[in-house]
Amino acid sequence: MGFDLAFALSSVPTILGAIGTTLGVAFVSCLGAAALGFLFDMLRRIGGVVGLAIGFVIDFIRSTPVLAWLYFLYFVLPFYGIRLGSLTVGVLGLSLYYSGYLAEVFKAGIDAIPKGQSEAARALSLSRRDALIYVIAPQMLRNIAAPLGNYFVSILKATPYLAVLAVPEMLGRAFDIASETYRYTEPLVVAGLIFLVLALVISHGVKRLERRLLAVGAR
Amino acid sequence: MSTQSQSIVDIQGLNKWYGALHVLNDIDLAVASGACVVVCGPSGSGKSTLIRCINGLGSYQTGTLRLAGTTLGLNASETAAARRQTGMVFQSFNLFPHLTVLSNCTLALRRVAGQSRAEAEDIAMAHLEKVRIPEKAKSYPGQLSGGQQQRVAIARALCLNPRLMLFDEPTSALDPEMIKEVLDVMVALARDGMTMICVTHEMGFAREVADQVVFMDGGSIVDHAPVRDFFGPSGHPRSRLFLNTVLKH
Repeated sequence: MGFDLAFALSSVPTILGAIGTTLGVAFVSCLGAAALGFLFDMLRRIGGVVGLAIGFVIDFIRSTPVLAWLYFLYFVLPFYGIRLGSLTVGVLGLSLYYSGYLAEVFKAGIDAIPKGQSEAARALSLSRRDALIYVIAPQMLRNIAAPLGNYFVSILKATPYLAVLAVPEMLGRAFDIASETYRYTEPLVVAGLIFLVLALVISHGVKRLERRLLAVGAR
Repeated sequence: MSTQSQSIVDIQGLNKWYGALHVLNDIDLAVASGACVVVCGPSGSGKSTLIRCINGLGSYQTGTLRLAGTTLGLNASETAAARRQTGMVFQSFNLFPHLTVLSNCTLALRRVAGQSRAEAEDIAMAHLEKVRIPEKAKSYPGQLSGGQQQRVAIARALCLNPRLMLFDEPTSALDPEMIKEVLDVMVALARDGMTMICVTHEMGFAREVADQVVFMDGGSIVDHAPVRDFFGPSGHPRSRLFLNTVLKH
């Protein structure tokens, strides 16, 4: 079974047609995971019972497969009267799953800021809020930019899981073509190459961003 | 003779424990307005802990601490107002690495004192000139030497026009050749009449500008003497032992 270049090229428009869904799902999921992860890390910092409980939740999320989350949200929640669309479930599942990882990113990003920074802010009589906005947050963003970018790539590569919910993302489209034509090689290779190019471009962008952030006010 | 009204800092019976460790043991200390007090002693003696209590970075369990006429901890807004009269310089500079030298200096002026950008920058530049580093206003802390960073940190603390400057081992993290440029700035500040409490082992600085020296050991003030007596032949035996080891270097 050879590789039919003409057939491969003819499958490109159909697969590329889903690039918006793939990127959109990845982007919204990444935002959701970041928001949830930040919330988890903040709650964990309360310590005590709340901190322990949140720590357990984070470990639990990270120790379960993404597919388990997607199936659970899609097939189990309706029994409890919660019926969500497949796209919503997909974004929700990816957000939840990656929030466990991003909580760790925020933890590392905040812990890496020397204690002296908030002490200096307090010594200058800055309010807690101002210290967070003008001193801590900018340094945290600099610390998390690179790992956040890398997780965006991971989330992007996890979007094909949504095929099990029939969300029309790129790999799903490629598989549809394959099923209709019984030619698997070309569409799968095309989809793989598109993912490869996306991941490389984003990684490169993240590296450049990281270099720029490090150049500004290098310690 | 420093009465309570003239003392900018008045500490009475201050005690602090870390668990069973008694880190500040019944500290009494009054610092008159305009005085320069050097606090020295072996590491772990409670020097840094003491000056961190003075501006509220550290807590204490018993005793009273009056700062600029306000007893700290009684009323939140009065405590905050009193703390605003102090500037602090740290051993590790603690400049904000993501902000330029100028922005480091203007941040509190704009957010705490509520000044406009132009006003804040004028004040900041005046202080950067005072510490002889105006040409670095647009640089980032990471582009400066340690001595330059510490001078910026002094300028940043001076911007809010404090009545009391606290120095926590300001030259301990510096290479020897940079110590002098920082000490020169501190000497000039003391000569200008700034009230200063300096935790430092720079005995030359103490001799040159300090009015009093406080010697701490094991959480207590062992010796508190006018600078002439402290270095004189009749000084406290424990201080003399310490001076002998410090001055050998």
